[in-house]
Amino acid sequence: MSLPSLARVVAAAILSVCALAPSGAGAQNFERPVRLIVPFAPGGTSDILARLISPKLSAAIGQSVVVENKPGAAGNLGADAVAKAQPDGHTLLLMDVGSLATAPSLFSDLTFDVEKDLAPISMVMFGPYVLAVHESIPAKSPKELIDYAKANPNKLSIANSGVGGATHITAVAMAKQLGIQWKNVPYKGGAAASRAVVSGESNVIINGAPATLPFVVNKQLTGLAVTGEQRIASAPDLPTFKEAGLPGGDAGTWQGILTTGGTPPAMVARLNAEIRKILELPEIQQKIAEQGGVVRAQSPEEFRNWLKDATTRWGTIIREAGIKGS
Amino acid sequence: MELFNNLLMGLSTALELNNLVFCLIGVVIGTAIGVLPGIGPIPTVALLLPFTFGLSPASAMIMLAGIFYGAQYGGSTTAILVNVPGETSSVVTCIDGHEMAKQGRAGTALAIAAIASFFAGTIATIVIAVLSVPLSVLALKFTAVEYFSLLVLGLIAAVVLAHGSVAKSLAMVLLGLLLGLVGIDVSSGVARMTFGIAALSDGLDFVPIAMGMFGLGEIIANLERPAERRVVSQSIRSLIPRRADFRAAFPAMVRGTTLGSVLGVLPGGGAALPPFSSYALEKKLARDPSRFGKGAIEGVAGPEAANNAGAQTSFIPLLTLGIPANALMALMIGALMMQGIQPGPQIMTEQPKLVWGVIASMWVGNLMLLVINLPLVGLWVSMLKIPYRLLFPAIVLFCCIGTYGIANSLFNVWLMMGCAMIGYFFIKIGVEPAPLLLGLVLGPQLEENFRRAMLLADGDFTVFVSRPISAVILGVVAVLLLAMLSPEIVRTRKEALAE
Amino acid sequence: MTRSRIDLQDLLFGLFLVAVAAATLVATRNLTVGHAADMGPGYMPRVVALALMGFGIFFTGRGLWRMRVGIAPVQWRPLLAILASVGVFALTAERLGLAIASVAAVMLASFATREGRLVETVAFALLLSGAAVLLFVKLLGLPIPIWPR
Repeated sequence: MSLPSLARVVAAAILSVCALAPSGAGAQNFERPVRLIVPFAPGGTSDILARLISPKLSAAIGQSVVVENKPGAAGNLGADAVAKAQPDGHTLLLMDVGSLATAPSLFSDLTFDVEKDLAPISMVMFGPYVLAVHESIPAKSPKELIDYAKANPNKLSIANSGVGGATHITAVAMAKQLGIQWKNVPYKGGAAASRAVVSGESNVIINGAPATLPFVVNKQLTGLAVTGEQRIASAPDLPTFKEAGLPGGDAGTWQGILTTGGTPPAMVARLNAEIRKILELPEIQQKIAEQGGVVRAQSPEEFRNWLKDATTRWGTIIREAGIKGS
Repeated sequence: MELFNNLLMGLSTALELNNLVFCLIGVVIGTAIGVLPGIGPIPTVALLLPFTFGLSPASAMIMLAGIFYGAQYGGSTTAILVNVPGETSSVVTCIDGHEMAKQGRAGTALAIAAIASFFAGTIATIVIAVLSVPLSVLALKFTAVEYFSLLVLGLIAAVVLAHGSVAKSLAMVLLGLLLGLVGIDVSSGVARMTFGIAALSDGLDFVPIAMGMFGLGEIIANLERPAERRVVSQSIRSLIPRRADFRAAFPAMVRGTTLGSVLGVLPGGGAALPPFSSYALEKKLARDPSRFGKGAIEGVAGPEAANNAGAQTSFIPLLTLGIPANALMALMIGALMMQGIQPGPQIMTEQPKLVWGVIASMWVGNLMLLVINLPLVGLWVSMLKIPYRLLFPAIVLFCCIGTYGIANSLFNVWLMMGCAMIGYFFIKIGVEPAPLLLGLVLGPQLEENFRRAMLLADGDFTVFVSRPISAVILGVVAVLLLAMLSPEIVRTRKEALAE
Repeated sequence: MTRSRIDLQDLLFGLFLVAVAAATLVATRNLTVGHAADMGPGYMPRVVALALMGFGIFFTGRGLWRMRVGIAPVQWRPLLAILASVGVFALTAERLGLAIASVAAVMLASFATREGRLVETVAFALLLSGAAVLLFVKLLGLPIPIWPR
């Protein structure tokens, strides 16, 4: 009898609490509890999605699904843990996959290869961004904002949720494509950025709808446009970027689920099927809509292609603008 | 009169039987996790989030808020009894609270902490009801410029925390500032002093450093002493505070509550400023400042009141502006959205029953905490009767698990080990770690806000004096500095150095 | 308490600060400094490190100049036992699980004092381990394995 199993017997006898050790029985494909790693602190969109999906996934596969927050290094720490796990589909990653697309360009010392070490399962949702300005800026439409910016170069300061984050890169790309100049002011997260624009410390913002839209609805900020294919139900008079003729209409939060690279395709397919089933539940659709998001299920191939495409596109913007990670 | 109608409406919501039950569940869970070092309210709330989907929005919010302020109560218990601060705010309670415990006055310290918290909670509830709108205006007046000035004031106050040499305190604040700079720089995205370790990129976590330097360092130093002279004298003199204790503690509670209520409203400044600045204020006002650090009851009552008042008024930006003041508030917003309620400034007019129900429940919850905690004081104190040879391994184990639990990372456990060694070294050379911890918390914000202010003002330094709030705060800083450098202080400093 | 020519407390603190400051200056040598109005990432670390260097030199000098008592001798047993206890927990928690790591950490910590009796310590370690598993994993849902995985 090996030492660990001896200790197990001794401790189990003392505790006399049965069922502490995971039992082997269950679904054929899943032999032990599944870890669903969220590489951010609790409370963010990824975390809430994970806690929404995990009970459903658990019921579907007959094993418990444990949400684990592993924050750090813009999501790279948690992603690394999944990349280095056993490739058997028992370790999942749910995150804003935009960070995965920018990581190779931002961090020269990335400890894993996004393409090889992670296997895409499915996209989960898309969350649109809102473009808004402080009331002191005389702009009621995107066009007026662009005109104002052109007339006053470097007077506007646009808040973003972190250097190298998707909102920062979107702002940089927009300025370049529109031929305008504004100061990029980094904050720790979207909530802090929103607060800064409400108080007038910075005066423009592009940020996720959940954190910023309430201020627009309450007229503390002037909303100008939203990203995504449709307008947002709670602010129907805001045009989409496309309608307003702005570039970057597909910018936003893209939440997706991945697992360890090298996981057998059959396992990936099973997970993809289960997650797509969950995403079709009206209850889940409604909760995601309440987050200001749209459900976006994809096949693993579609997801892989999306990731590849985004990595190239954003990589170019990052290099041209000279944005650095570590 | 509208105010009383609102409060009445809130009370009627808070006193519904199911809401009372969820409030009780919340404060009990909160107290429990507060007592356990390391396990903070954030992971607990995250864990309970799915469970709240099935509740009514009011019940869910009441329970989650209960966990939050319940944890503040529980945290001071651990700080007083075993000198392990589980969060920023308990560091201050460690200083004099644990000293009181060593003198056999653990019961008094625990009781006064609970009473101060209840007092502050009651006043803060009224403050939220009466002043939330004007105070929320204040929150919006604070931009990077004002934050920078406020943080400078906070750091100057930190020097008062330790009772030894001013020069050593200053050096410790700077050391804390330096530790706070580790990680990815917010303004440029560049990693600093991370030595290629990915776990360092988000900076050093507060809890492993505090638990290592305070809790474990103290344990090692304790074990060097002969058994009979160890930590807490096991003869407990009194459980109930005497009248003299109340007389000393009451003014401190009032000042602490005021300070906490105002500072709590400022988003971002967070949990650190109210208790630290209250402690500094009490020490400045005391007729005999040398009692501080040696078991002064004001040093427990003031910060505990400030902490609890701040914890409650930090709900003001959330309720009136929809701005989360800290990570936990962000989590509560998540919970609201799951309920189909769009949080934001309109919430007060659209969901008055919810908002006022939560506000009134805070008072109800604080009352419950007092009723639960006062009888528990005896039980907690009797825990000190466990022989030290059994108590300290248990503390070490709980510190390990708690530190791991903050970010589910073993790196933090290693960090705590390193800090235990440094903490022991500091005790050996007679330096106190409290100023370092404040520097660690405030340092990164200081730099971030300074650089942001400069970026927005195109490098114009005059913004710090041309904006009125900032100018006033910097004026106070100047007066404090002058007072510290005045001959009298130089003399006391010399005495301190010579001792 | 040994009488010594130098103030060891000040001297050690001073040397510690100098070492930390020097390490910082080396670690941040490649960062952009900028100037006060437009700081680079290297500005604050260097300013703070230089100030610490100043304090360090001050304390070192004062420690050498003044006559004072030294520090109480270091007792290695508690120091090493506590550090080892934390270290063993860090090494084993994720590999062997919380149950075993807890027993190991408590046992090692108990070596810090000679007062413990082996039977009592073992029993207490097992009890604590069980309590920790119930409390942290079962009730608080800490994602840590209970057994080796």
